[in-house]
Amino acid sequence: MMQNPIYFLLKQSRSTGPMLLPRLVHSSVTLQRNAESGGAETSDMPIEIENPFKKEKVVCILCKMKIEPDYKNVRLLSQFVSPFTGLMYGRHITGLCKTQQERVASEITKSQNAGMMPYYNKEPEFLEDPKLFNPDRPVRNHEY
Amino acid sequence: MLTYELSMLLRTMPKEELAVVLKRASTSIFNQGGIIRNIDNLGARKMPYKTSNHGVVHKQAHYFVISFTAPPSKLVTIESECHRDVDIIRNRIFKVNENANFECTLEEELKPPPYRPEVIKMIEDARKKGKKVGKSTFKFNTGLDYYPFQR
Ligand SMILES: [Zn+2]
Repeated sequence: MMQNPIYFLLKQSRSTGPMLLPRLVHSSVTLQRNAESGGAETSDMPIEIENPFKKEKVVCILCKMKIEPDYKNVRLLSQFVSPFTGLMYGRHITGLCKTQQERVASEITKSQNAGMMPYYNKEPEFLEDPKLFNPDRPVRNHEY
Repeated sequence: MLTYELSMLLRTMPKEELAVVLKRASTSIFNQGGIIRNIDNLGARKMPYKTSNHGVVHKQAHYFVISFTAPPSKLVTIESECHRDVDIIRNRIFKVNENANFECTLEEELKPPPYRPEVIKMIEDARKKGKKVGKSTFKFNTGLDYYPFQR
């Protein structure tokens, strides 16, 4: 039978005496303090502030660094290409936004067409380049 | 007039001959009423795939990019003139990318499906399609709420 972890802790505390428990409820000390100071003073009223826990907006790497994909920049484009097939990885792997993914894809086609980038492989000299993402751990599951 | 880029792969040859070929290409642009803004030399290197042109198989090339401005109707002429040049292995004309103003939408794309704007739109479209907007179903006018005959 599975045991509820909190129940387990409580049981243990009863048997072994005082021990540290996760703070689920306000501790009695803070509750008392609130009762003493609350009510009478208006300066203690809650003030409206921006949500301090709001997370920063997630931005893709090209938008963050403000990089414009260009067909002459083969080294950059090669980072989004599979070394096994020469095809560009999907959006769930590259972690680019929709617009940037489309732009990079079109620049890769241009570059291949102009004879700057190979079709069926990645240039061997770029194989050691730093990895921007891990193809084995996509952001989202593969659609097929 | 728009700015274009003519990317050319030249046959490997000495510097003086390269200059002659570039001159030929640029005069063909001038003849069509174009202006050359910049000529970039991307250097000589091994091509990513071998290319045969004018009866010769090439594995190395000199990379050049000429950015120019020319009337769009004359681009075909410039391209065909370069195509006929024996010393040019491959040439392409591309439009220069304009500065794109867009917001990164990665955050919305990473949300779970029912919160993604594109999925919301898809669901709405499917609902509209199910209703058959603008189409009416046939009415039998029998006064019955069921179909009285054998189907
Ligand atoms: Zn982006």
